[in-house]
Amino acid sequence: MPRHRQKRRVFKVFRYDPTTRYEGHFDLFELEIEDESLTTILDVLLRIQRKYDPSLAFRYSCRISMCGSCGMVINGKEALACQTVLANLKGKEITIRPLNHFPVVRDLVVDMDPFFENYNKALTYFQAAQEMDEPAIIRPDSKERKIISDATECIACGCCVSACTMAHWHKDYLGPGALNRAFTLLADSRDGLHKERMAEVLEACYSCRTEFNCTEVCPKEISPTRAIKYIQLLAAKEAFQREPHLLDTEEAAPPLKEYSETDEQMTRRRFLSTATLGLAGVTALFIGGLLTATGFVPSMRERPRKWVHVGRVEDFPPGSIKTVNIHYKARDGFYESLVEKPVLVSRKAGTDKITIFDSRCTHLGCTVNWDEKKNLFICPCHMGTFYPDGRVKSGPPPRPLDRYLTKLKNGDLFVEEA
Amino acid sequence: MEQDVDFHFRSPLSRGELDPNRLRSTQVGMWAWLWQRISALAILVFLGLHLTLTYIPLIQFLLLLAVVFHAVLGLRVILLDFGVVDVRYQKALIGGLAALGILMFIIIWFTIY
Repeated sequence: MPRHRQKRRVFKVFRYDPTTRYEGHFDLFELEIEDESLTTILDVLLRIQRKYDPSLAFRYSCRISMCGSCGMVINGKEALACQTVLANLKGKEITIRPLNHFPVVRDLVVDMDPFFENYNKALTYFQAAQEMDEPAIIRPDSKERKIISDATECIACGCCVSACTMAHWHKDYLGPGALNRAFTLLADSRDGLHKERMAEVLEACYSCRTEFNCTEVCPKEISPTRAIKYIQLLAAKEAFQREPHLLDTEEAAPPLKEYSETDEQMTRRRFLSTATLGLAGVTALFIGGLLTATGFVPSMRERPRKWVHVGRVEDFPPGSIKTVNIHYKARDGFYESLVEKPVLVSRKAGTDKITIFDSRCTHLGCTVNWDEKKNLFICPCHMGTFYPDGRVKSGPPPRPLDRYLTKLKNGDLFVEEA
Repeated sequence: MEQDVDFHFRSPLSRGELDPNRLRSTQVGMWAWLWQRISALAILVFLGLHLTLTYIPLIQFLLLLAVVFHAVLGLRVILLDFGVVDVRYQKALIGGLAALGILMFIIIWFTIY
């Protein structure tokens, strides 16, 4: 037996009696459905009303998803009752609730006045920009027409506003329906109320948080999110245009008032947007410059040379090579430490030249010792050997011993330490 | 004939209220919106922990995870807001950017360690 044949389904329908003040409750109705693929929620409601409970109230009119009267929340998702087929609904119980965000009049009927109030606020009527003798030609394949595309199909069912959580959190939010409608006219080049309408929807369009709930539930498969994004981008673009705007105070004049355009006039909105942009730019430059400076300036500063005392010149007779331990304070960031390290002091016979080698082997850093008998520097770790002038004789070291910068002052010998 | 009955409209229901299908009917676009906000809070918490107790790999891991998560969802919003990607691809964007996010996470983590 095919799955969508005769079946018993349970319907949990929200009930509310307006003569009381309580919160409402759910009534359960169990129905035998002959063919689920041919039965809609509207059919179910009508049957319940006729056979079980005549007091059940709900709106419907055309029954073919054209009028937008039967919007309700079915199994948690907004939809038109006449369009929702039972075969597509899963679950033991099917929950039917009225639309969200509108006052509930009775059972599944909500007060749609708030919806249409917002609709009207967005100036959702057309007024021609110019008087024309001929009809305006907007080709169906033009970019303008394609941008608007199916947004004009809206049947004002209220499903989008019911689904949008911002309609709950932002009480004065115009809503996706009104904004979608406004979009169809804002994107229309023939429209003459562009500035007035823009002023009305400007504040509302930033309440959208890109949840996409409206797009998910629209019975006409319109995307109000797309419309609102368009309005936001349009608003951003217009903020930087040099056209003077209509009065930008809250108590603006009635929409149909004529305004005079003066190119010389710097309007408040333009000044504020320029000032904000300027301030933002200055701040960005300042902070950016500061961060760059902190990155580069310390390494460019003149660091005073630090000289560490090694010993007196007399301590190093000509032709001798000695190991001396030097001590100094090293700073590494915030960390200060006392360092003691050996250096190799070599004074060539017959000259006053003193060379001080770093005793760190150039292979892997072990301490190199001077071997008097062999006349070589020898590293005990891997048997690397160096000539008395520091060049590598044999073994793994890749380069000669490093030398320090030396300074002779009043008979005192110094090396430079970083 | 006038009805002398007192009428009271019930206050509006909100999405998910008195609805057993609340979680099931939530779509992925809304989850993305919600997780963006949650990960923002998570960043604040983990950042504070990381700055106080530095050099603990677990905290660094969680912080990086929260940052990459938030960044990926944020990139999606930026792309949608400026019309770079059409609104109809919003779900595909979640998957695509999530893959990018995982890649970024792996690269960053194994560069550090």
